[in-house]
Amino acid sequence: MFGYITPDKPDLKIWEFEVFRGYYCGVCKTIAKQAGHRGRIVLTYDCAFLALLIDSLDIARVSGKQKRCFVHPLKKRYIVDSNFAVEYASDINILLAYYNLKDKWQDERNLLGPAGMTVLKRGHKRVKKKYPDLVEVIEEELNTLRELEKQNCDSIDEVSEPFARLMQKVFLHANDCENTGKVLGWVGYNLGKWIYLLDAYDDIEDNINSGSYNPLIVQFKYDKNEDVKSFKERIREKTEFVLVYSLSELEKAFSLLDIKKNKSILENIIYRGLLIRTRNVLQMGAGCHEKSV
Amino acid sequence: MKNPYEVLGLKEGASIEEIKKAYRELVKKYHPDRYMDNPLSELAEEKLREINEAYDYLMKNANNTHQRQQQYQRQQQNQNTGSGYYSGYSNNSQFVYQIKMMIQNGNFAQAQRMLDSMPVRDATWNYLQGLLFLRRGWYDRANAHLQRAVEMEPNNMEYREALSRVNTQFNAYRYNHNYYRGGYQQSPDMCSICTTLWCADSLCECCGGDLIACC
Repeated sequence: MFGYITPDKPDLKIWEFEVFRGYYCGVCKTIAKQAGHRGRIVLTYDCAFLALLIDSLDIARVSGKQKRCFVHPLKKRYIVDSNFAVEYASDINILLAYYNLKDKWQDERNLLGPAGMTVLKRGHKRVKKKYPDLVEVIEEELNTLRELEKQNCDSIDEVSEPFARLMQKVFLHANDCENTGKVLGWVGYNLGKWIYLLDAYDDIEDNINSGSYNPLIVQFKYDKNEDVKSFKERIREKTEFVLVYSLSELEKAFSLLDIKKNKSILENIIYRGLLIRTRNVLQMGAGCHEKSV
Repeated sequence: MKNPYEVLGLKEGASIEEIKKAYRELVKKYHPDRYMDNPLSELAEEKLREINEAYDYLMKNANNTHQRQQQYQRQQQNQNTGSGYYSGYSNNSQFVYQIKMMIQNGNFAQAQRMLDSMPVRDATWNYLQGLLFLRRGWYDRANAHLQRAVEMEPNNMEYREALSRVNTQFNAYRYNHNYYRGGYQQSPDMCSICTTLWCADSLCECCGGDLIACC
């Protein structure tokens, strides 16, 4: 995961922001418990969103405390208590970060890979034991993805499918109810597609420079003599269509969920945060504020 | 039955006007047209049924049977036109109908096999392939196939409707109400304030006055 899912901060009320950050801190704290303090570096906003969404389907009130933490020792912060959703999100965070690092090592021989993997080894093992079926499916999808990337797949639909399905399984697995699981799965599927393609667009320059695979470069036939900027402009509209259409499907699925709490925060993310992020990455002006929460 | 106020997202004791307003908005939100190419269409229908029941219940208690029936009938009609989608238009051979049903039921692999076996890649074929991709989440290809179908047979209303539905969904989210409800982003920035002042000053000067003395 890449940390693309953030709220539109200026449009949040202060308490909403505190609660969102409370989930973020809650996931961070749980990661530290599962994988050691050094494991905290892999924390992403995407998993904070996962915790927020899953917990919001539960009728129990948000519970948390003002606490000091290891990373921000000076000021007390609101931290959501560990519960099923927070724990699940932290497990998923560890799992996906582990595979991401592994991928980095295999593709680019990036030394961050083995270093991070050593840190996460214990946590990864624990998660694998906890959800053996899910981990097996995730590994399978990632293998398919590697295979497609290796074959230089020329369809953005096809190559984004494994990661989208992976996210579908992750979201689906978080809820026992059949219908809710199905709806969550469709949220996950479209989110996965969006994340994968947004990341691809974001990486165009780097990938052109390093000569590595990027589905957009292949499908839209980047020409070596072409200016990178004009190439990005040329494919902007087509990419935007797929990204925004995925978000519109995600929104439809989200509308069918029975949200018990935190609704305004979730709506902020789904109707504003994701759209603003899309525009920022596609460099479409209006509302470019690229600050960390 | 769930608490009807809760279903409509209202506080207990909401006024009739509020109930009507909430109902109208929810019907729009869960309308079959919006979920036509979405794999969760059945769940949306169920939700709409729940909303109708809640609305009916509240309006009955408000002694307003006549209006309720009217609203309800209108709703039913809407639903009918919504699901009339697959019973469709003139060129529906048995084969085409079968593929449509498979897509509808989520039987993607078999639908794809049948499409692959069709010898002619005409407008109908492109249309069906587009619908199938749309359901599967392959939006880029879906859009391309639907566009091709419309190009090949520009007069076919069914194909045009499918394509325009896709564009409507895309734009509805892109310009969604929540995003454009006028947040901090709508306020003028320094640049436009300066330009406005400058314009005002120039206009004043044209008339012989002056707004900003220094320029």
